[in-house]
Order: sequence, then structure tokens, then C-alpha cells
Amino acid sequence: MKPDGEQTSRSPGPLESRLAELGQGGATTAEHFALRVLRRTGIPHTRYDTYVRLETAAGGLYVAFNSHAITMSVLESDSRQGQRPVTAERFEELHRRRVGRSAIPTEKPLAGLRPALRTGRSRHLPIDLSTLPAAERAVLEAVRAIPPGQLRPASWIAREAAQQMRAEAVIGVLAHNPVTVLVPCHRATDDNGAPCDAAYPHETGDALRHAEGMDPAAVRQWAQGDATLLGSTTTRIYCHPTCAHARRITPARRVPFRTPGDARRAGYRACKSCRPAAA
Amino acid sequence: MMDDETEQLTELLAADLDDGFTELVRVHARGVHAFLLRVAGSAAEADDLGQETFLRAYTALRGYSGDRRRALRPRAWLLTIAANVWRNHVRTSVRRPVSAMRVEDAEDMWSDARPGPEERATAVEDRHRLVAALSQLPELYRVPVVLRHVVGLSYAELAEVQDCPVGTAKAQVSRGLGHLRRLLGPHEAERKKVAM
Repeated sequence: MKPDGEQTSRSPGPLESRLAELGQGGATTAEHFALRVLRRTGIPHTRYDTYVRLETAAGGLYVAFNSHAITMSVLESDSRQGQRPVTAERFEELHRRRVGRSAIPTEKPLAGLRPALRTGRSRHLPIDLSTLPAAERAVLEAVRAIPPGQLRPASWIAREAAQQMRAEAVIGVLAHNPVTVLVPCHRATDDNGAPCDAAYPHETGDALRHAEGMDPAAVRQWAQGDATLLGSTTTRIYCHPTCAHARRITPARRVPFRTPGDARRAGYRACKSCRPAAA
Repeated sequence: MMDDETEQLTELLAADLDDGFTELVRVHARGVHAFLLRVAGSAAEADDLGQETFLRAYTALRGYSGDRRRALRPRAWLLTIAANVWRNHVRTSVRRPVSAMRVEDAEDMWSDARPGPEERATAVEDRHRLVAALSQLPELYRVPVVLRHVVGLSYAELAEVQDCPVGTAKAQVSRGLGHLRRLLGPHEAERKKVAM
């Protein structure tokens, strides 16, 4: 016989809480169950969105979509949503509030979603931003044009979006990005080159940038330095420091500039790929 | 907050049946499924019966006026339908017995995100024993115990589903838990002997 002490030490708690746990266990079956119910009842697919949870460098990402476009995505580590991590139920509520339709879990992601997340190339993924005001939409579309592995300052985003907006206003729009990660606001910085990470903690932004080959230490170093632009003495062209062309400049040929004016006075022109401000 | 949600849901049902029904499924599919899974003991059966529950709910809603939809208490209403679907199913199964009831508990659904393998094994075993004991609990007690403690209904909601006074609902649950403890008792003792 076991001594009595043993009995209490491995006690699984009161019966009631063990029963309550049973109610949470079947969540996965119940999820696909909801979708089967809707199909069986004959509710047209246009009446609801479906969603999946996918892994990213920064943890789980919930992505909701209708039959042709993505409508919303939220990181589990999202710091705007109060308690963390964001649960599936919480995501469903946020989606309902924003999109006005129910989000039902599915196992099948929208075509192209997985590769876009894997490669960071989400620019051509269909994303529905139509419910946003035109100015916000333009800002987010400009952010979508930042290539993976590169950073752009807020003033660049405002210019590309053709919006008369101050950097703070741009960052304000990014803070409400309804399609986290897929509209890559982790590639946006303030005008000193420090990442904004307006919608999640800096670690999250670092993880996303690191996955695209941007070393967090190097990013910080650029942000602390005076130079925001990089020129090449060979081509006499200046770029944003993370531009693919800037990264090819051999260290001996690099010339840092603080402002486009400085670059122009030195006889440099702006890169046509990364389009830094012209003076 | 729960009440707010309920109100929104019934408003949706009154305004646009398909939209409201989709939201009803989103919010309550887990609860209905958990209830049926734990009373039936089989995921396949829970799935079939759950589909039937929602199909009946949809058909009923189509015949309801906007006011009647607005006055619904969706969770208790759905679980009343589910409990009826389950009772009908039991009645038919008794008439045409197919096989002994299977007790399933898909471990893969929840085995992740658990601590070390040993605690996990113990947790799995505990869970299996609880699920098995639930399936041995007489019908009369199983439904109220699952509704109250697995699905998490209040006694008021439970009384509504069971169509009985609140006091009776409480008594059913309490007797059911007592019965469940007795069912679990001998197992626990046996396990300890084996462990020694």
C-alpha cells in the first residue's frame, strides 16, 4: 500500500475542474465541425470568412480570408489586443468587429498564403483593404511595396503613398495595420532609421526582420548613426542602406550621407530602385 | 460581456438569418460539440448529432418571427435541441443496438503544449479514466453533469435545458458528481496498487 502522502501529491484537483478541462480538449474537432455545419446547412460561402493559424518567425499568426482575398491577420503576440497571447476566440471576435462577418476555422489556407509567409514576398497576395479610408489604404499599399529584407522610413512611405502626412501620422496608420506581417510594417522605420514596431513588441519585429536576413544589431547600429543614406563612389548613386544595391557596395566604396541634400551637393543621384528622397 | 454578445447575436439573427446563424455556429459550435462528445463518448457520433442539432436549429429559426429570434437565449436553446437529439438517438439505438459504445478521446488534439512526458502520461491516463467513468454514468445524470461542468452552463440555463426547476437541476448535478466519484473511486485504488 502507498502511504497517504502519495495520494495527495498526485491528486489531479477537484473533479469539477477536471470535467471543465474535458470541455476544452475537443477544440480542434469542434473547429472543423463548425465549417462542416455551415456547409451542410447550405449557408453560402460568401456569408462568412474562414481562417487558419500559421507559424511565422514571430510565432503564430491568425489569417482570415474570403474566397478571393485576405481580410485580416493578427499575431498571437499582438500587443494591441490586451491579454497575450491572442487566442483563437479572441481573434474571431476582433475579426467580427472589424470585418463584420464571422470567421470560421478551416485547415486550408488561401492559395499562395503559405509561400508568401515562408519567403516574405507577400506583395502580390490579394489583400482586401477596401474597408479602410483611402489615405490609410494608400499608406498600407506603399508599405506592401517595401521588398523583403529592406527598411524604409515613414517619410518615404508617405511620399510613395502620395499623402501629405507627417511621419507620426504614418506610424499611427501602421499601429492599426489590420493585416499584420502580410502588410509588412516590420519593414517601416521612423525617419532616424529605428524600426517603428507600432503594433507589437520590438522582439516580434526583430524576429520578423531577422527571418528576412536583417540582423537586429545592424539595424540598431544604422538607427544610431548619423547617416540615413549610403552612396557608392563607383556609381555616384545613393540608396537607402538596406536597398539591394546598397548592400552590394564594397566597404571601401561606401559613402554615408545624412540628407539627400548632402548627397546631391556631393554630386550623387538617387537610386531608382529604392527611391530615396531627391533634394 | 457575455450578455452583450448574446444580445448582439440575437439581433443578428433577427436582422439577417444567414449572417446570424453563421455567428451562432461560430460562437456555440464548440459548446454543442463538447456536450455531445462527452455524453456520446464518440467523436463520430458527436459530429453527426451536432450537425443534426444545427440543422434543426436552422429550420426552426426560419419559422420564427424576428421578435421570437430576438428573445432567444441562444446557448440554452441550442443545447436543449442537442439534448433532445441525443435522447432521440439513445432511444433509437436501444431499439436497434449496433455495438457497445466506444469511448474515444483523440489525444492528438491536445497532446501538444503539455509539460514533460511523464506528467503528460499521467494526465492522459487521468483523462481517459474520467471519460470512461462519464460514459458509465447513468443517462439521467450524465446530461446534467456534462452541461454544468464540461460545457459550463449556469444552473438557470441548465434548468431551462432540462425543463425542470433550478433546485432539481442542482440536485441532479450533485447526485451525478457523487455517482461519478464512486465510479472513479475503485479505479484510483487499483491504479495505486499497480503503481506500487
